[in-house]
Amino acid sequence: MKRTTFFRFTAPSNIVMLVLLVFPLIYSTWLGLHFITFRTINEPVFVGLANFQAVLNDPAFWASLRWTLVIIGITVPAHIVLGFLIALLLNEIKGGLRAIYLAASLIPMIVVPLIGTIVFKQLFDPSGLIAWMYKSVTGDIFVFDATSIKVLILLHTIWIITPWSIVLFFAGMQTISQDQADASSIDGANRRQQIRHVIVPHLRPLIILSTLIAVMDMFRLFDNVFVLTRMNPVFAADTVMAYNFRAAMVMGRLGLGNATAIILVITIIVALVPLMYVTYREQIDQR
Amino acid sequence: MRPITHPLARVCVHLALSLVVLVSTLPFIWTLLNSFKTKRDANARVPKLFFTPTVESYTTVLLDSIPDNAALIGILLFASLVALVVIGKFAKYIPFPNKAIYWGIVATLAVIMWGIPRVIDVARIYDNFLSTVIVSVGAVTISVGIGALAAYALARYTGIAGIVILLAAIAFRSMPRMGYILPYFQVGQAIGIHDTHFLLIIVLVAVNQPFTIWMLRAFFLSVPREIEEAAMVDGASRLKAFVKVVVPVVWPGIVATSLFTLLVVYHEFILIRILTQSNQTLTVAMAQFIGGVSVPGSIPRQSAAAVISVIPLIIVVLIFQKQFVKGIGDGAVKG
Repeated sequence: MKRTTFFRFTAPSNIVMLVLLVFPLIYSTWLGLHFITFRTINEPVFVGLANFQAVLNDPAFWASLRWTLVIIGITVPAHIVLGFLIALLLNEIKGGLRAIYLAASLIPMIVVPLIGTIVFKQLFDPSGLIAWMYKSVTGDIFVFDATSIKVLILLHTIWIITPWSIVLFFAGMQTISQDQADASSIDGANRRQQIRHVIVPHLRPLIILSTLIAVMDMFRLFDNVFVLTRMNPVFAADTVMAYNFRAAMVMGRLGLGNATAIILVITIIVALVPLMYVTYREQIDQR
Repeated sequence: MRPITHPLARVCVHLALSLVVLVSTLPFIWTLLNSFKTKRDANARVPKLFFTPTVESYTTVLLDSIPDNAALIGILLFASLVALVVIGKFAKYIPFPNKAIYWGIVATLAVIMWGIPRVIDVARIYDNFLSTVIVSVGAVTISVGIGALAAYALARYTGIAGIVILLAAIAFRSMPRMGYILPYFQVGQAIGIHDTHFLLIIVLVAVNQPFTIWMLRAFFLSVPREIEEAAMVDGASRLKAFVKVVVPVVWPGIVATSLFTLLVVYHEFILIRILTQSNQTLTVAMAQFIGGVSVPGSIPRQSAAAVISVIPLIIVVLIFQKQFVKGIGDGAVKG
């Protein structure tokens, strides 16, 4: 394809991204250098790097970053392992039942995260099913406190992101050639060896891809934290996005919120480097 | 790999998968049950699995006042929707131009949606539903429309500019929404499009563009070049070859991508919540039913609202189920 044709075809999309993604991000950085509230939204006062300093000196910001990293450290490996195991199980089933199992396990990902969280929380409400089971087993009442809320956030996050890896790994397993699998079993490999030496190497690119994407997406985790904590500071369960939302929308300090967002942008870009590198290599190789 | 044959092991596989299904669906089953309970049953100390169902919460969420012939209207509405879905599903067996049938279905749906508030006294949630439809259809159509052009070019062009755009798209896919909101808010107010469907649509098109491009590109890569080259030898321009020859071949992929874009648009919460007050979508409107931290709002009403808000999405996904699963496989594995 000729260069001019390429730019003509990509023009609409490029213009949209330039005007609505690139410029706003630059403008956001500029606004991060100002003091703005909802009332003075059209008269920002230039304050230099004060907002950035305020965020970086705020212990609550570092607490939210630590909590986000904990979420990443637990949920990302958990969803990869769970997704892989469930995909292996699904791979054992043939026929109509498989479609039913697959469809049912995808439900948490299809349903709106916000609504999924409300639904998930209902099980733990005072009259909920799991709260009742908890009470029958331990004798204590299930209460929402700083610890239980955090556990719920972790569980819900795993619950909502595992379907992605299930379906990804399952699709990946369908592309393993039968010859390869047969050859290994003729060589006398048992099931565990087959999984280790045939399936895992075959899925490696997918595992890397979904890990990197999940890590970046976890920096944006917000909806379930919003529903489960209702932005109540008592729970100390703010993720970085929730911290950002609190600064901008709850406290109304828009400049501070923007500074937080830009710091997050920089953090994510650092986290992005490996994915960018992997993708760059792949694209160069494909040419 | 040879499947497990030992009968006991097979039982274990099925048991494990049933557990997965239970964990995935239990919360929804519980909410579905709750939505048919009275407030008293929903707050019972020992959870009730058996109770006398009531549709009271649905009527309070959906309607401001109950019409006299509610049952009749309900049945008519339900029957016409089922009829439309059935006609759509079996359109290929009807000896009539399929395109005309599909457009007929869309037109009928539009008339039904226009007619409902004129016959029944619907609650505010109906406005949220209409907003959801307008924003989703607008955002998905534009996003996939311009995304397909770009994705096709990115699949064919081998220059370095293509790789730069693709990498930039990955970066922008992962940016936090809070990084864009204030400029959208401020500029939207300055040029007078704040709180309109238009602003929501273009904003959602923009934030979904990177994802749409990547997914569509995977489908275009699987189309052999010879197909459009043959058309171009016959004198068609590149654009004409694209529209007439390439698009029909990747149509299933375009449907799958549209479905995924719809999913992201429908799931969007933070952008829509901040950028509009009067055109909230169902997802954002749900926030009012959340209630407090340990003191929940009315559980039956909350449950009914949750069920109502996800039903449109579930119906769409069920209709396009096949493309959905295939789309994840093809788009993800090849891309």
